[in-house]
Parts: sequence; C-alpha cells; structure tokens
Amino acid sequence: MTRAATFAFLAIGALGLLFLLVPFLMLPLHTSWSRFGFAPGDLSAAEVSLLYSLAALVVIAVFGTPLAYALARYRFRGKFLIEALVLLPLLTPPLAMGLLLASTYGPYGLIGGPLERIGLVLTNSGPAFLLAQIYGAAPYFIVGARAAFEAVPRNLEQVSLTLGKGPAATFLRVTLPLARLGLASGLATAWVRALGEFGIVLIVAYYPRGIPVKLWINLQNVGLQAVYPLLWLLFLVGLPLPLVLGLISRRERR
Amino acid sequence: MRIRYLLERPVSLRVECTVAGFTVLLGPTGAGKTSLLLALAGLLRAEGEPFGGLPPQKRAVGFLPQDYSLFPHLTALANVAFPLAGPDRFPEARRLLALVGLAGREDSLPRELSGGEQQRVALARALARRPELLLLDEPTSALDPATRDQVMGEVIELVRRIGLPALAVTHDPHLAEMADHVAVLTDGAIQQEGSPEELFARPATLAVARLVGFRNLFRGRVVSTEEAWSVVEGAAGRLTVQSQPWFRAGLSVHFGIRAEEIAIDHEENGDASPADPARADPQGNRLTGRVVRVTKLGLYLLVRFEGPVELEILLPRNIHERLELAAGERATVWLNPRFIHVLPDGNGT
Repeated sequence: MTRAATFAFLAIGALGLLFLLVPFLMLPLHTSWSRFGFAPGDLSAAEVSLLYSLAALVVIAVFGTPLAYALARYRFRGKFLIEALVLLPLLTPPLAMGLLLASTYGPYGLIGGPLERIGLVLTNSGPAFLLAQIYGAAPYFIVGARAAFEAVPRNLEQVSLTLGKGPAATFLRVTLPLARLGLASGLATAWVRALGEFGIVLIVAYYPRGIPVKLWINLQNVGLQAVYPLLWLLFLVGLPLPLVLGLISRRERR
Repeated sequence: MRIRYLLERPVSLRVECTVAGFTVLLGPTGAGKTSLLLALAGLLRAEGEPFGGLPPQKRAVGFLPQDYSLFPHLTALANVAFPLAGPDRFPEARRLLALVGLAGREDSLPRELSGGEQQRVALARALARRPELLLLDEPTSALDPATRDQVMGEVIELVRRIGLPALAVTHDPHLAEMADHVAVLTDGAIQQEGSPEELFARPATLAVARLVGFRNLFRGRVVSTEEAWSVVEGAAGRLTVQSQPWFRAGLSVHFGIRAEEIAIDHEENGDASPADPARADPQGNRLTGRVVRVTKLGLYLLVRFEGPVELEILLPRNIHERLELAAGERATVWLNPRFIHVLPDGNGT
C-alpha cells in the first residue's frame, strides 16, 4: 500500500471509531451540571440493579460453566441441537422472551402457578427480576466460556491426569487458569447484559425497579433532563467490573 | 517389566514386549506408537497389564508427550511442583530441577526455555510423580539436530542412573542405537525385540530391516548350502553368505547389507577387500560398476553405486579422503559375506 492509501485506510477506521463514540461524547454536553440531581427512587434503582445483577452473574457462572465445558469438550450425538438451544434466548427478541417467561412463570403458567402456591412469586418480584436477567445474559457467558475452554489444549489436561491430579483438580489448576481470559470477557459481557436488560424485565419485573426501567419512567414522567443523572449512575455501576476483569487478564497474559 | 496391551481404536494393536532399562519402541509413522503410550497412561481405552483398568491419575507412569505439554501459565519450578503436595513440594521440585541440570532456571516460564530445557523440565515433572515407568513420545522430534545426541544421551544416562524403566517410542533408528533394549512395532504387533546390536545386525523381517536402516535389500534364491557358507543367487549374481539353519536349496529369500558395511575402491585397484580366509573363491562377492553420485550426509558420504544392482554406500570421511571417489568413476565393491543378512521371504514387506 502506498502512504496515501495507508493514510486513507486508517482515516476510515478513525471515522468509524468517532462515529461509535459520538453519543458518549455528547453525554457530558447534554447534562445540565448546574441542576444535576437524582430523581426520587434513582438510588434505590441503582441498588436493585447492582445486587440482582451480581446475583444473576453468580447463578450464570455456576450453571453456565459446566454447560460451556461440556459443549467444548464432549462430542455426542445431537450436540448441534443443544448448541442451537443455548442460543435460543439470545436469538429471541427481549419482548418476546419476556412474554414467554410471563406465560411460563406467571400466576397462570404451568410452572409459575404451583410455585406461587408455595410462596415463590415470579411476577414483579425480586426472583422475577433475577429470572429476567439470567435469561437475558446467560447465553452470552456460555458462548464466551465455551470458546475459552475450547482454546485450552486437551493434552495439558491429559498430562495433568497422568501427574496424579483427578478431573476436579485438573479443572481447577489447569483448565480454569488457562481459560481465564475468555471466561473473564464472558463474565463481563454477561454482567453488562444483565445490568442493562430492559425488554424482558419490562414484562415480568416492572417492580422492583432497576435502572433501565427507572430510566424509562423518568423519561415518561419528567423528561430528558431527569434521565442524564441516572445514565451517569448506570455507567458508574456497570463499568468497573468489566474494566477490572479486562485489566487483570491483560496483565497476566504478558 | 513386561507389557501386554490390547487396543481396538484408533488403531488395532496387540502389543507384548519387555521394557528393560531405556527401551525404544521403533515403528513407522501411523503404526500406533503414540496410541500405545496413551493407552499405557490410561488416556485411551485399552485392556492390558500393567495398570490395567486404572484411571490415568492412579497410574504410576511419567508421561512425556511429544510437545512436552508444560503448563504455560506456570514457571519451571511450579511445573515440577505440580504433582507434589505438602510443605516440602518446592524444595523437592528444586532438587529435581537441579537433578536434570536446570538449577537457576526455576523462575523461567516454559516459553523462555529451549526445546531441550523444556524436555528436561517435563522429565523432572514426570519424576516428581514417582513413576514406575517412564513413557516418552518421539523424544528426539522437537530437539535441535546439532545437540540432539548430547541431550538424549544425558536423558538416557539419568534414567539409567535412577534405575527407572523407560519406554520411548520413535521412528528414528538412531535413537534405537542408544537403547538398552529395542522392540519393533509394525502391522499392529511387535515384530521383533532384543538388544540394538541384535536388531541392527539380524532383523527378522523385511519390515524390521527397513526400519533399522537397511538400505540395500534384494530378492534371491539359495543355490547351494554347506555347513558354514552358502551361495545365494539374485540380480547381483552369485554371492557367498553365512549359512542359516533354515537354508534349503531353491528357497526364496531376501538379503541385505547395511550401507555402512560395504567396502568400495577404485576399479583399477582391483581388490576392495582385505584377504578374507573364510572365502573359498577369492573373486567372490565382488561387483564392478560405476559411482553415480556422491552426496554429503553429515560426517558421512553417501555413495550411489550402479553395477549389476544399485547400492547405497556410506563412507566415513577418513576413508573418502583416501579414496576421493568421484561421480562417473568405475569402482569395485565387496560385500563381506559375514555382513550380508539373509531373511526368509514372505515375512511382511
């Protein structure tokens, strides 16, 4: 490539980057800093979002990790079908997913009905909120974790076995450390998806109000100016975890 | 130690052989050598003894894969300490690293080590597991050719010193020369086993002969046989060979001679051989022809000779310096009857 062509090529890339950043660059300009203040309920929305997203992440990691490992390591008949099913919640529009959850876990659902009778209400409740977040975020983690496990050489696990470590010790001491980069990025993606989940939450867990629903309410009730402080809060709550995970795994990779 | 293993997949194998000292299992690519090691380590489904039926983590084997498979996220010391437990594991790992000559490299990551050093870390790690049997998969394949013999020599020396039986699989006949015991695997079974001298001088089948590096192999027929010497006829004419108990006149045979055991001289010098009292016929076992090509092969020269048959001849440098054979020149070769090895026909190919 000539110098001019190289320059043009890079300039196009820079334009693309700028285009992606424009909305974020505008946020400080639109925020009216003199009248910066939270609407009633904003802080409790942040609390709800933070706590339930963390809980969702734990549930996703506990159930998603073995599933992702099995998909990465074992070959079995009908595997492609299971792979497609894992992606199903991700391929379903959030609103449709919410409706499906409402009909399944709602008071008249086949599962929701009996559960409600034993006291587990899965509509407009904490558990419902958690449920919505898990459905929205889990596939992202499973896809990322699966790729991470696939990248761990099989022979390193085999050698660990021949060195006297059982499958569990091998998983903890060889597989997990070697997959940490991909697992961290899978967790970060799942975290952001859970925190920002709106479509599913809107249908099954309008209460307790998390940040996305509260943003919607502020916009409806007050207007754009009431949205900006909460947007800042969303970034403040959501960004640290992915950043820390990213930094840790980058530093260890060197 | 006696090994008996039966495999169905990915290759069908029925292997029975002895592991004594540093044992080399020689076989062509695809013979199932690696599969046998994986089976011994418990990583491949198989039946057999020793260790039959145990999961890999319960088998007292030290397995060195072809790529050594060091844990890339751990230092050399942590790699060696991996199979160890308890508060003494790091001093013990240090001792093992020193044993393989890597004191001072404790904190290096695998990617900072050379191929030979990685192999020694893998060896120390395997020893830390306190194995009863060491398994090495193609141990020379990832080594620098220049230092290969020295590195392998040290490994073999160490294994002998500790008194640990080791089974190395390879297609490299050179490694087999350094072994205490050699077994040859082709067509799903052990074809022959014994000392390297025995195998290299007296391969039992054509396949074994090829694997141990016989380059000059011909078909022939026993013409007459006496107590000590017999005559075999083939494309090379009539040759005197040592008699074998199974020789019968008219029997089809294969015979071969190693490239490094053929004597050659300029044709005008006539006799390529020192006087041999065993020969009845002073003109016997001599072929005349032409040198077609002279190629360097490490410290040797590979001479391609075309006479009644084509022969490959390996000459050490000192002999070549005296002879100075050139391509196109006429030459006489002498096939020492004692070095011609005769195999029965129909034994594999």
